[in-house]
Amino acid sequence: MKKMWKKALALMLALLMVAGLAACGSDAGDNSQAPENSQSAESKAPEGSEPVGDEEVTLKWAVWDINLTTYYQPLIDAYVADHPNVKIEMVDLGSSDYQNALITQLTGNADLDVVCVKDIPGYANLVKGGYLSDLSGEGIDATLYGGTIEQITVDGKFYALPFRSDHWVVYYNKDLFDAAGVEYPTNDMTIAQYDELARKVTSGTGADKVYGSHFHTWRSAPSLFAVLDGEHTVVDGNYDFMKSTYEWVLAEQNDGICQDYGTLKATSTHYSGVFFNNQVAMMNMGSWFIPTQIEKVKSGESLATNWGIVKYPHPDGVAAGTTLGTITSVAVNAASEKQAAALDFVKFVGGEAGAEIIAKTGTFPAIKSDAVLDELAKMDGFPADENSKEALSTTQVYLEMPMHDKAADIEGVLNEAHDGIMTGAMTIDEGIQKMNNEVSALLS
Amino acid sequence: MQKTQIPAASEAVVKSRKRREITKNLVAYSFIAPNFIGFAIFTLAPMVMAVALAFLSWNGSWKNPIEFVGLQNFIDLFQDSKFTQALFNTVAYAVITVPLTMAASLGLAILLNQKIHARNFFRTMMFFPYVASMVAVTAVWNMLFNPSMGPVNMILSSLGVENLPRWSADPNWFICMGTVILFSVWKFMGYYMIIYLAGLQGVNPDLYEAAALDGANPWQRFWYVTMPQLRPTTFFVTVMLTIQCFKVYDIFLMITNFGPGGKTRVLVGNIYEAAFTSRNFGYASAIAMVLFALVLLVTLFQFRGEQSMNE
Repeated sequence: MKKMWKKALALMLALLMVAGLAACGSDAGDNSQAPENSQSAESKAPEGSEPVGDEEVTLKWAVWDINLTTYYQPLIDAYVADHPNVKIEMVDLGSSDYQNALITQLTGNADLDVVCVKDIPGYANLVKGGYLSDLSGEGIDATLYGGTIEQITVDGKFYALPFRSDHWVVYYNKDLFDAAGVEYPTNDMTIAQYDELARKVTSGTGADKVYGSHFHTWRSAPSLFAVLDGEHTVVDGNYDFMKSTYEWVLAEQNDGICQDYGTLKATSTHYSGVFFNNQVAMMNMGSWFIPTQIEKVKSGESLATNWGIVKYPHPDGVAAGTTLGTITSVAVNAASEKQAAALDFVKFVGGEAGAEIIAKTGTFPAIKSDAVLDELAKMDGFPADENSKEALSTTQVYLEMPMHDKAADIEGVLNEAHDGIMTGAMTIDEGIQKMNNEVSALLS
Repeated sequence: MQKTQIPAASEAVVKSRKRREITKNLVAYSFIAPNFIGFAIFTLAPMVMAVALAFLSWNGSWKNPIEFVGLQNFIDLFQDSKFTQALFNTVAYAVITVPLTMAASLGLAILLNQKIHARNFFRTMMFFPYVASMVAVTAVWNMLFNPSMGPVNMILSSLGVENLPRWSADPNWFICMGTVILFSVWKFMGYYMIIYLAGLQGVNPDLYEAAALDGANPWQRFWYVTMPQLRPTTFFVTVMLTIQCFKVYDIFLMITNFGPGGKTRVLVGNIYEAAFTSRNFGYASAIAMVLFALVLLVTLFQFRGEQSMNE
C-alpha cells in the first residue's frame, strides 16, 4: 500500500515537473513567433501613407534615471503635442544595471515598444539576441549622424538610432592655472604637451594639493588616448600599442601629478567631486559633464566657478579635434505590436527636431548641426571664451568601444587588465600580455 | 483456494479501510500541495533546467537556437585560467574564513555567556554587523581602509610603519584577500555567536561541577566539557559557514570588485560574468554545477566526519 502511494507521489512529482517544463517550453514557442509577427507589422508599416493612424496608441519607453534626466519629458511633450492620439509612458529600469535589466525584460516578453540603448556592448548583445527591429531602409538619413550610424551597422543593417552623442574634452580650472602662473591649455595640444602642462600646474601638498590632471577610474579615461591615432582599435586582439600610454599615465601617478587609481577606486570617488573642489587643474572627461558642472556652479556645489573646456589632446601628427565618443541610442523592440508608432517616435527622438529639444537641455544630441552647436554654446553658464565654444566641434570621433560581436567580453578582459596595471598588481607588460592572450582566445 | 474462502464481509472491511486510508492520504497531500507546487515551479524546475543548461549552449534569447554541446562547457572550464583562479580563490577563502569565524564567534559567545555588565548591549553590538546592510558597511570599510587617507593607514603610519598596505587595492594577493577575509569574519561572527550562545545555554551545569570536583582547570573544563557538548552546534556552524563561504559574491564585489586585476575573482562572480556579461548561459550553468558539486562534496565529507566522531 505504502509503496503504491510512494509510486503515486513520484508520478505526481514527475508530472508536475513535466508540466513546469512544458509551460516554459510553450512560452518559448510563443516568443519565437514574435519576430514573425513583428516582421509582418514592419512590412505593413510602410504601405500606409501615414505611419501612425488616428487610433489611440500607448507606447512604453524603457529608459533610466527619469528624475535625473532633463530631456525625456520635453521630448515626450513635443511629440505628443503633434500626435495627440499617442501616449508615451516611461519605464525606468535604473542606470546601474540598465542593459541587463532591459535584456531580462525583453526575454520575458515585457510590454515595451521603444527602448534606450546605453552602450555599444549592450547594443551588440541586443542585436545578437534579435531583440531590436531593423531600422535600415526606414528612410533615415545616416549622413546627419557624423559617422556614428556607420559604426553601429552590422551586415549592412542598423538597429538603433543615436540620439545622444558625447565626445571627450579637457575641463580646466582657470583659477588654479592663474594661481600657478601657467598659461591655459589650448585647443591644439599633443598628448606630450598635455602631460607637460599637467606637471607644470601641479602644486602643494596635503589638503592644499592641486593635481595637474585627473584620470577617472574608467578604463577609457587614460587608456584610450592610445586609439586616437586611428591605426588601432580596442577590438584588434593585440594591445602592444597601449604600452606608451600606460607608461606616461603611470609616470604621472607615481610622480603625484594625478590622484592614485587604487585610492579613487577603493573610495568610489566620483570625478565631479574632485573637479568641484578645486583639487584638479585639468580633467579629461566626456561632454556629458558640461550641464552638470553648469548646474552645480549655479547651485554653489561646484567651487570651480571659473572654468573652461578645450579639445582633447591628440597624438603627434593627428589633427586637433580628434577625440573619443560615446553614443546613446533609441530602438524599437522587435516584439512590439506597435511597430509603426514606435518607429515614428524613435525617428522623432533621434531626428533633427529631437536634437534641438535635447540641445536646449544642455545635452549633446547625436545630430550636431550648426543650430545645435549654437544652442549648446548659448547655454546659460557655459564658459564665455571662444576656445570653449570651439571645443564643442570635433574633427574625428572614435567610439570608446567599436561595434563587435564580442564587445562585452573584450571589455571585461580589458577592464580587468587595466585594473591590474593601474593598481600595480601587474606590470604594463604583464597586463598587455594578458589582454593579448585573453582577447585573442575570445576572437579565435 | 484460501482466497475464495474469505467471507464477503471481511473483504468489504478491507476495502473500506483502503478507501479511508486513501482519503486520509489525499487530505494530507492537499495540505502540502500549495507549498510543494510553489517549490516545484520556482525552485525544482529552475534547478533541473540549470543542470540541463550546463550541457547546452544558449545566449539567453528565445530567438536564438539552443544547441546541445555535451561536455564541451566542462572541457572549456578547465582550460579557462579565470575559472581555475576563481576556484582556487573560493576554496582558499573558505578554508581560511571558516575556522577564523568559528574561533571568533565561539570566543565571543563564551565571553558574552559570562555574567558581565551590559551583557545584552554587547551581544546586540556584536550581532549588529550581521544585520547591517552590506552596501553600507562595505562603504564604511572601504573608507576605513582607504590606502592613502584612511584612518587605519594613518594610525599605521603614525606608528612608524613603512610601505603601508593598500588593502583592497594591494597587488599582493595575501593582503587584498586578507582584507576581504577580515571583513567577512567581522560580518559573520555575530550570527554564529548567537548560535554558539544557544548551544552554551544547553550545556548541563552539573557537568562543570563534576569536572571541577575532579580537579579540572578552566582550560580542561572548556576542552573536555564545553567542546564535546557543543559538537552538534559546531557541526551546524561548520556546514552553514562553509556553504556561505563557497557562495560568496557580494562581499568581493563591494570590497575588491574582484580586483586588483582579477586577483580576487570567485566562482559566483564568474557565474554572473559568464551569464550576464558574456551571455553564455550554458557556460555559467557549468560553473554553477561545479560549485554545487564542490559544496555537496564538502558537506558530505563533514557529515561523514560528524558520524564517525559520534560512533
